[in-house]
This record gives sequence, C-alpha cells and structure tokens, in this order.
Amino acid sequence: MASMREIRSRITATKKTSQITKAMHMVSASKLKKAERTIKGFRPLMIRLREMIDNLLENDDISHPMLVEREITKTCYIIVSSDRGLAGPYNSSIFKAFALHINENHQSNDEFVVAAIGHKAMSFAKRNGYNLLIEESINVRDDVQFIDFKKVTESFINSYLIGDIDKIIVFYNHFINTMTQVVEGYQILPITNGNYKKEEVNGIKLIYNYEPSPKIIIDHLLPLYVENTLYGFILDAKASEHAARMTAMKSATDNAEDLIKTLQLHYNRARQAAITIELTDIIGGANAVS
Amino acid sequence: MKISVVTPRGELYNEDIDYVVVSSKMNGEFAMMKDHIPIISSIDIGYVKMVKGEKEIFTVVINGVVEHANNNINVIAQEAHVGLSKESALDHLNTVREERIKENKRRNVDFAMAERELKKSVKDAQAGKG
Repeated sequence: MASMREIRSRITATKKTSQITKAMHMVSASKLKKAERTIKGFRPLMIRLREMIDNLLENDDISHPMLVEREITKTCYIIVSSDRGLAGPYNSSIFKAFALHINENHQSNDEFVVAAIGHKAMSFAKRNGYNLLIEESINVRDDVQFIDFKKVTESFINSYLIGDIDKIIVFYNHFINTMTQVVEGYQILPITNGNYKKEEVNGIKLIYNYEPSPKIIIDHLLPLYVENTLYGFILDAKASEHAARMTAMKSATDNAEDLIKTLQLHYNRARQAAITIELTDIIGGANAVS
Repeated sequence: MKISVVTPRGELYNEDIDYVVVSSKMNGEFAMMKDHIPIISSIDIGYVKMVKGEKEIFTVVINGVVEHANNNINVIAQEAHVGLSKESALDHLNTVREERIKENKRRNVDFAMAERELKKSVKDAQAGKG
C-alpha cells in the first residue's frame, strides 16, 4: 500500500484538477449559451440574403460560375475544428469522419486540398500529409468574427473561380443539443439548394431594380453568401465545441470526485494501519517492561 | 421610412429616418427618398448616410447589400459601424479590424496556461492509475 503522504498528495492534486475541470465546465456552459444566442441573431441575415439571391435568379437570366456544377477534378475540404483540446470527442470524431470520407472517395492525396480552420485541424492535416490550401493556421476564437477567416474565404473563392478546385465541402460538427453533436459534410460551392426550404411568398411579389446592374449585384452577393454560409457553420461548430467541452468536463469532474472518494478510503485505511502498528508497539513494549 | 442595419452579430441599428444616401466605392452614390421603387444595391466599401431632420448619422459598411422595398430599408453588412461622421466611423472600423488581426496573432495565453496546469496536475494525480 502506498504511504500516507503519497496518498495525501494525490488527493490534493486530484482536488485541484477537479476544481479546474469544474471551472471549465461552467465557463463552457456560459459560452454555449452565448454561442446559441449568436446563432439566433445570425439566422435572419442568412434567410434575407438567400431570399435576395433567389429573387435575383428568378427575375433575370443570369448564370454565375458559383452556381454551375462542373466536372470534379479537385475537391477542397474545409475542416472546422477547435483551437484547443480538452473537448472530449469533438475533434477526434470530425477527423475520423473525414479520414473515412477520404478513404471512400479518393485514391491519392493529389485529388483534394484541405483548408484548416482551428489549430487542431491544422496539425491533423499536417500529420497526415494532406495538401494545404493555405499554410497559416486560422484561429477560431470563441467570439469568432469575419476578419478571422477572411484569408481562407478569399483564397478558396479565388481558387474556385480560377478553376483550381471544382467543389468545396465543409466538415463540421453540427450542434443538435448539449449531449449530441454530429459530424456533417456540406457542399458550399457550387451553391446548391441543400437543406434550404423556400418560404411561401404572400402577397404581390416585388420586382426589384438593381443598381447598377443585376450582374454586378450577383457577383457581389454570391461570394457574400458563401462567406456567410461558412460563418454560419463556424458558429454552429463553435456551439458544438462548447457543448462537447461542457460534457467532457462534467464527466471529468465526476470522475475526479469518485477518485477522491476511493483515495480517501485508502488514506483512512493507511492511517488506521499506522495507528494499529503504533498501538501494538506500545502494548508490546509495556508487556516487555512488566 | 424605416432602416435596419444587420450584421452577422445581430442588429446594429433600427430607426425611423427621412432619407438615406448610399455611397459605394464601386457603384457611386445615390439617395433614396420616401416611396422609392424597390431597389437592391451592393456596397463593397462605402457608407450609408441616414438623415433625420437636422441629424446625420453615418454607417460605414464593408461588404454589404442595401435593399429597399415598401419604405423599409434593409442594410445587410458583413461589417458595419455607426458613427457621427464617415471618417470617424471608418477609422473606428479600421482600428478594430487591425487590432483583431494583431490579437489573433497573439495566442490566448490564459487558456494555454490553464491547460498546461491541468495537464501537470493530471500527471501529479496519476489519473487513470487508481
């Protein structure tokens, strides 16, 4: 059996760990609330933007490379992960799903490029020797903003328009509730109708004037839409991350408390054993004297 | 006439106004008065001047769309800032953006330190052995 001092130091260390994990749990819980709020605030903008694009495409005979599916020679994958670990299976599940997808759909690494959002995805892509779209890793802070990943959007939209890549798929953790997050792959370019449901238009349909011309507006609107879609995914992933971290930290705290309980038991036993030994020594000594 | 300015971080501004002037680097400048025909225009970098009586307020917009229908103006912007003059609003937006980029380069020190400490105490506690 370990000595009393050893057990005691383990108990204090475990207690400290549980304090930290408990704090992290609470921090993640509040951040999750905030993330959910951000998503709620963001949704109307997205709907509005989509309506505008639909309107434009209906009224006028416009085509845009972003709307046309072409033969796929190179695919770009955007992996949205977190910057930090300690979020349970959050990152590993996305990497596993991604690796599986690659195995199923591609023969060699030359068929696709990867854009990493978050440090974890960056190191994952480097470890596996994937071709990277941009070398620099992109931060995903908790209060994520457009400017943070402007570089990625710029570079992938450019390479798409040039024709270097023909399809862009985002891999991210979709937030369902605090306990469940699922990995989803969503194609953001070329733009498809996807899971967007068109709302019924009531009343007379408005006919818009486009200033200066529909062509210029659509050229401007579509990249904006793509960027916003990606931003929406990042927000979703962010909520998932907080939820995953929250659950992970909760179970870590519970485990630590269990461990402390057993250690306390061992400690008491060791203390009792020491007392018994002392007593037998004293009694033995007394007996020897008398 | 009503105007609402929406950014990905929520609604920035929602007020009654007399008329607006939309100015964009790419498309030039035009004004929208009451009962304007439905219109959609885009702004790469520019501003929307909102006029109510004697008061003028500027919203500097980076990458946005302006839509007008039924005397409701919707400004959807990726980044926007409301200020009393276009210079001050633009300056503010630029400094915010610059600082953000700088800040991104710096790591989140607090979190890294907490993580390191946690790792250390996990090691100390010999977690997983008991």
